Amino acid sequence: MKLYEFEGHKIFSKVGIESPFFVVISKVEELEQARRRLKFPIVCKVQVLSGKRGKSGGVKVAMNEKQLKDFVGEFLGKDFNGEEVRFIELCKKVDIEAENYISITYDTVLKSPFLLFCAAGGVDIEEVKKTDPQAIIRYDFDVFAGPVKKELEKLGIPSDFAMRLWDAFSKYDCRLVEVNPFALCRAQGKPPKYVAVDSKIILDDAGVSRHRDLNVLPKGEVGAVPTVRELQAREIDAEDYRGTAGSKFIEFDGDIAVLASGGGASLLVMDSMFAAGGKPANYTEYSGNPPREKVEKLTKIALSREGLRGCLVAGAVANFTDIFETLSGFVDGLVQVKPKPAYPIVIRRGGPRLKEAYEMLSLLSKKEGFDIHLYGPETPISVAAKKMVELSEKFKKSQVKSAKL
Amino acid sequence: MAILVNRETRILIQGITGKQGSRACSEILSYGGNVVGGVTPGKGGQEVSGLPVFNTVGEALTALGAVDVSMVYAPPLIVLEAACEAVNSKVPLVHIFAENVPILDVCRILTLASKAGVRVLGPNSVGAISPGEGKIGSIGGPDPDAVFSRGPVGVISKSGGMCSELGNLITSGGFGQSTVVGVGGDLLIGISFSDLLLEFEKDRQTKCVVAFGEVGGSSEVEAAKLMKEGKFTKPFIVYLAGRFAEKLPKDTALGHAGAIVGLEATMDEKIKILKNAGAVVAENFEDIPGLIKSAI
Repeated sequence: MKLYEFEGHKIFSKVGIESPFFVVISKVEELEQARRRLKFPIVCKVQVLSGKRGKSGGVKVAMNEKQLKDFVGEFLGKDFNGEEVRFIELCKKVDIEAENYISITYDTVLKSPFLLFCAAGGVDIEEVKKTDPQAIIRYDFDVFAGPVKKELEKLGIPSDFAMRLWDAFSKYDCRLVEVNPFALCRAQGKPPKYVAVDSKIILDDAGVSRHRDLNVLPKGEVGAVPTVRELQAREIDAEDYRGTAGSKFIEFDGDIAVLASGGGASLLVMDSMFAAGGKPANYTEYSGNPPREKVEKLTKIALSREGLRGCLVAGAVANFTDIFETLSGFVDGLVQVKPKPAYPIVIRRGGPRLKEAYEMLSLLSKKEGFDIHLYGPETPISVAAKKMVELSEKFKKSQVKSAKL
Repeated sequence: MAILVNRETRILIQGITGKQGSRACSEILSYGGNVVGGVTPGKGGQEVSGLPVFNTVGEALTALGAVDVSMVYAPPLIVLEAACEAVNSKVPLVHIFAENVPILDVCRILTLASKAGVRVLGPNSVGAISPGEGKIGSIGGPDPDAVFSRGPVGVISKSGGMCSELGNLITSGGFGQSTVVGVGGDLLIGISFSDLLLEFEKDRQTKCVVAFGEVGGSSEVEAAKLMKEGKFTKPFIVYLAGRFAEKLPKDTALGHAGAIVGLEATMDEKIKILKNAGAVVAENFEDIPGLIKSAI
């Protein structure tokens, strides 16, 4: 989960990393009170999850009341690179002597954490990588020992700051912490010190449950603001650790609901849908033998979209996921959907208790009048996806026809 | 021959009294596998499928003698403790089934294991099967013969579901498998694609290897490197999934924690690197049996 800049600063403060004094506002009405706690010049920063904020004009220094109001009026609640600006951070302008870059993340090949440091901060690090790769110092260290003071100093990396950053990284289960710039600041009559002028943190989703005290705002998979369905889908796993269902839920601008199974198979399902010219309404996935209720909830959420013209339930041949139980969950959800789905439903599965599951589904579609098409392991996922798209097209045409009549 | 698991493999199950653990135990036994006992703290003295349960891995090994594999079937936040117990007892291969183990815990387990010379399969791994020989983990479920058959094709996938899907496709295409391995879908995993390629290279039964690759991560690129260096010389057929996701913003995570858009190489880069190294990149998933046929 990506965090907003101000959420990152809050984590930094827990490990003794200093940030410039700031106030966050979410409404225009809050500006007056915030203004009283700061002196001009004030640095105004939109809070968004996408990068390149500065380049797109989302950071400005306000010298007076008018500039401040103009900035807030221009950005708050508005669209910024496809993302709604829910918050603006207003912070004290600090006197910067030098700007540096620092980050910690995992190397997936070495399977250990590493730190990157660059004395040329404040600019796009990807650019530095291309133009002056030698300016970036890489330091690999042991996950148990953390960064070693002496080794950091030998490499010219500010050791105290680096070690505190590792504290934040390891204590709060981060996947990435990045500070660009972290700046050497000199206030009059005081010794120089390092300050985190920005923050970028990605939390490890698997570790979030250990840090309920962090109080970070829920985020969407793609945008900063999760859709209602994304939030509902995520609730399913939060309440029950057995199997997964809906932890990943991404909405698309399409008309075929997708309930895929398995991390790998779900990718194949989506690729096949797009390749067949279909337009999925969502990506989601359930796997690891989730209890029936979880699939029921996920089904209700995915099928709550308006204007659906098909539903594809597809996954690989399961190893240990009980197909009868999970498809029973699908049915439990399906029968609750209002209005009753008239669109075609294509199911392609394999695995334990498949036969029982398909007998149950055939009976249901006869009795309740659902348009369900069943495919087993002998039909490739891509063929089932193609079938789904064809049936959905046919359904669309019949809809148009009946509308004309 | 096959790799990782065979008829003789002695298996211990940590979390054997749990739902998934006891189920995996009976499935392995019915496949002819050699589970010797299990561990669940506080439940020492009980029995599962007629096998003894101990409080610690140490106690189990003292009573049962050495084992080849310990399968960890603990809830995600307990995995660190359980896996470290197995690593510290120097069990040569530790298989971790659980999904959603925090990355920091995984990193600690893998660091400790590498120092102890212990191999780790997973986390979030469905296991491995050498058809006709034996299996570890939950791969193939109660009826592995429905999809897997013995033969010359080595199979690697992060995804458990795709392991059996590939088994199903390859078996119905007329080929059997030497060993099918689910390495796990997490950001950090123990045994990697390239570790397995090195094993498959040595294995006489294996004539070619099929892998299911995904968006994000660098496992396919690492594998290509081995081929370039001449360390893996058998035909290597790869299918890459998740092309649709490249339209999504960078850092979007998909079904597998390790499938992160924009992490390491892009899809097109991966295809180019693999082809350059001499691998066969399957355009359609169903093409795989045909590609095996022309490869061996």
